[in-house]
Amino acid sequence: MGQIQLTDLMKRFGDTVAVDDLSLDIADEEFLVLVGPSGCGKSTTLRMLAGLETPTSGDIYIGGDHMNYRVPQNRDIAMVFQDYALYPHMTVRQNIRFGLEEEEGYTSAERDERAVEVAETLGISDLLDRKPDELSGGQQQRVALGRAIVRDPEVFLMDEPLSNLDAKLRAEMRTELQNLQDQLAVTTVYVTHNQTEAMTMADRIAVMDDGELQQVASPFECYHEPNNLFVAEFIGEPMINLVRGTRSETTFVGEHFSYPLDEDVMESVGDRDDLVLGVRPEDIVVADTDPDDAAIGDHELRMDVTVVEPHGDQNVLHLSHPDQPSDDDALQAVTGGMHLVTRGDRVTVRIPPDTIHVFDAETGTAVHNRRHDQEADLTELEQ
Amino acid sequence: MATHDNTEHVSDAPDEAVGWESKLQYFLNSDFVRSAPYWGIPFVLMSIAVYGGIGYNFAISFTDYEGLGTPDYSALDLEMYAQALSSDAFIAAAQNNLVLLVGFTTICLVLGLFLAILLDHGIRFSEKFQTVYLLPMSLSFVVTAQLWLWMFNVESGILNLVVTTLGFNPVDWLGNPSIALGAVIFALIWQFSGYTMVVYLAGLQSIPDDQFEAARVDGASITRTYLRIIVPQLKEASVSAAVVLMVFALKAFTFLYALVGRYRPPNGTDILATLMVRRAFKFGEWAYSAAIATMLLVMALGVIGPYLYYQYKQGSL
Amino acid sequence: MSQSSPTGSFDVASLVEDVNLRRVGQYALVVFFLGFFLVPLETGIMTAIKTNESVARSLPFAPPASEGFTLGNIQFALEQLSGSFFNSLVMSIPATIGSVLFGSMAAYGLTMVNWRAQMGVLMLFVVGVFVPYQAVLVPLARFWNNIFPLARMIEPMVASIPFFQGYHADLVPLVITHIAYGIPICTILFRSYYQSLPNSLVEAGKIDGASITKIYRRIILPISKPMFGVVFIYQFTQIYNEFLFAFTLVTGSDAPAAPVTLVLPAIGASTSGIDFGIRMSAAFLAAVPTLILYVAFAEQFAKGLRTEA
Repeated sequence: MGQIQLTDLMKRFGDTVAVDDLSLDIADEEFLVLVGPSGCGKSTTLRMLAGLETPTSGDIYIGGDHMNYRVPQNRDIAMVFQDYALYPHMTVRQNIRFGLEEEEGYTSAERDERAVEVAETLGISDLLDRKPDELSGGQQQRVALGRAIVRDPEVFLMDEPLSNLDAKLRAEMRTELQNLQDQLAVTTVYVTHNQTEAMTMADRIAVMDDGELQQVASPFECYHEPNNLFVAEFIGEPMINLVRGTRSETTFVGEHFSYPLDEDVMESVGDRDDLVLGVRPEDIVVADTDPDDAAIGDHELRMDVTVVEPHGDQNVLHLSHPDQPSDDDALQAVTGGMHLVTRGDRVTVRIPPDTIHVFDAETGTAVHNRRHDQEADLTELEQ
Repeated sequence: MATHDNTEHVSDAPDEAVGWESKLQYFLNSDFVRSAPYWGIPFVLMSIAVYGGIGYNFAISFTDYEGLGTPDYSALDLEMYAQALSSDAFIAAAQNNLVLLVGFTTICLVLGLFLAILLDHGIRFSEKFQTVYLLPMSLSFVVTAQLWLWMFNVESGILNLVVTTLGFNPVDWLGNPSIALGAVIFALIWQFSGYTMVVYLAGLQSIPDDQFEAARVDGASITRTYLRIIVPQLKEASVSAAVVLMVFALKAFTFLYALVGRYRPPNGTDILATLMVRRAFKFGEWAYSAAIATMLLVMALGVIGPYLYYQYKQGSL
Repeated sequence: MSQSSPTGSFDVASLVEDVNLRRVGQYALVVFFLGFFLVPLETGIMTAIKTNESVARSLPFAPPASEGFTLGNIQFALEQLSGSFFNSLVMSIPATIGSVLFGSMAAYGLTMVNWRAQMGVLMLFVVGVFVPYQAVLVPLARFWNNIFPLARMIEPMVASIPFFQGYHADLVPLVITHIAYGIPICTILFRSYYQSLPNSLVEAGKIDGASITKIYRRIILPISKPMFGVVFIYQFTQIYNEFLFAFTLVTGSDAPAAPVTLVLPAIGASTSGIDFGIRMSAAFLAAVPTLILYVAFAEQFAKGLRTEA
């Protein structure tokens, strides 16, 4: 069984704490993505799991067995490296076979057979007698996968395995990796700094920052119910809009606009005074402004379009407040691709009250997340 | 998963403490322990030879050990050092050594840099020329000493051929004490300037080509480009080459010995290294020569110590 | 670097520029230094193949006229040197293999694993590269002559090996000495290479269940073949050319176990002076092994020197 349990895991390098008090349970056959900016401790965590680093304190269990004092070989894991780490002097066949040599229970012929079998699974049978430097990046990637699969481990560990590929190939390999993991039913811990990879591949995402775990949840939850400002900012492209302000009675007062808070929001906000208002760009509704109509709704504000980024299916608008044109990126909004807006237009921006997130400005924790019919959304996701 | 089962089953219950046996086994399996023989065996062998030797030499230098028999360690003093420092031969050798060190190192660096720049750009078959320039470095000092002995020969040597053609009197290059050291330095430069050239060329090649191009676009002349932009970037190459040359100048013995085939090198070229070997192996003054050797070592450490410290601080070790 | 002047936009102009004064001057200097580095060698070789009479009469660097040509000097020198050639090779080859292997092992052990005192150990290796051998000569002589006279102990054993004589036992301490003092430089050369290898290779090996020894034998050794070439050529040249240790341990040029470098400074010398025909022949012969290596592997040799710096 490949369930993983990390308890109070800590790693120090000299004076710096790379991983701080990390506890995490990973279910058997789960695809967990460790994501965070560089230096957040995600790779160190993975390397401790692999047995390449020794934890300063805390415990690692794989399949219920204590792993701290086991060498990598005896942990029943396989690892794919960012640079693939293919042995340059060996053929593809020898590369794949190498990991089997120390495994007991195989005859030499069985090892050869197994290597061929794995190569077939990955569609690289015709490359078996080539050396790594004769392969393309994508082919090397497959050989690296083959080397991981061949030992039939309980756990796959992947350290940014797709970051050396070009964009198109990366998208292709993402799907392929997911299918492979499904097919082999192996617990997978996948490290990346790329939030798109995290969102698209993970059963659950573990977001790390500064050595600490920020949130462990499904991609859906991380996106719509972030625990704190860091997660809200890290997940999502374009980034969530955040506005600092204070509470005055039941109204959020920012520098440029006021925003009345609904009753249910107020319940969670309580008597906190310093707040951060968050809204995803795609939740903002942008309407053309009728210059004659001076009336403006409770949750609306007037803004000027400073930049239009057309993506085809959608447009990303950068907006500024009319009273401070120097800040040309005060808010970002996403509109449909057919919604034509030009630079310099004055628009009416509506922030629907059910889409807002509210964070405590001092601690950064989320006090209110957007409303959604969670049950319905989640079932939909799992199908 | 049926094909293999090599887990040792420490425990199934996560909370159970880990036994000391598995901790010990883990330690014995750790990279530190497993890799220890790899560096450990060469390290011990090297340490005995280098540091054991230095220590032993140091110990002997405090005795009065001479001739046959064994050193007497009961009366240790600095007498040999005092004796050396007050001896004219030692002072003269030290002076010669200093001249050799400064002259040889400086000229080698300058000539090497010049050759490197000469071959760096716009020369066809530059690599072939480099190979020829570096060729003397592949020869033994014993061999090059013979070649230069012939070059310096008073009657039929090439140098005197040139001198007499120019209308001067033949020069006794190695026989005249005031010229001999210069002649030796000249020969050693012949052997070593290819080396400095190679070090500088490596430094030049690590400078991106676009710096040359940018300078050209800016309208700088080639000379100016080299002087103002390229040479300042060769500081590290200069330092490391200088260290190697200076340490060599301190320990140079073979060339001088092989020129004449005896312990005493040509008059005016006696340096600490030749003095030390002569005192030890010709006269059996072990303690005295050990003291000279210790001082030589201290000087060499004076050169490499700051260098290594600098490298360490730079993180380039 | 050819200069393009602001006015010269015609082909003719750039052609003229290509052979401009600067370029001519540059090539002239290159050729001058070619002469500077080659004349001593060329003179030596020309002198080696001249009769004594021709040496005295002709210019030293000029090739011999037909009646002044002889291979007699070379033949004589070869006879004189043949025994010491054998000694040199018997000493250099095992000493080179030993120090190169130890150096590779030490570099592997020091590069592949991180631990606290590592820097200190490495420093001791680096200092070992620069230590003047004079500082260990007296102890060396005492150790091999008085404290542990290995040569005398194994003399009968060596004598029983085919092609070897009892006196070849004198070379054994010399080989061990060369190995020990060759370790630091070989370690440093290999270390710089191993540091350039990606860490993940070794880690992948560990994950694949390979022991430290297996990683060394199956992954690191095969990958470092080119570096072995570099270090081997560098180290062989150093040991073959070395003089001081042989001088200390084998002593005289007339000792039967003397390597080439020890014999050379005494060849062709007599009370009436040095016979340069013979001396130059011997010098040339002594240089032949390293010259061949150098001409064949100049790039490796240069790389060794570069890495050292």
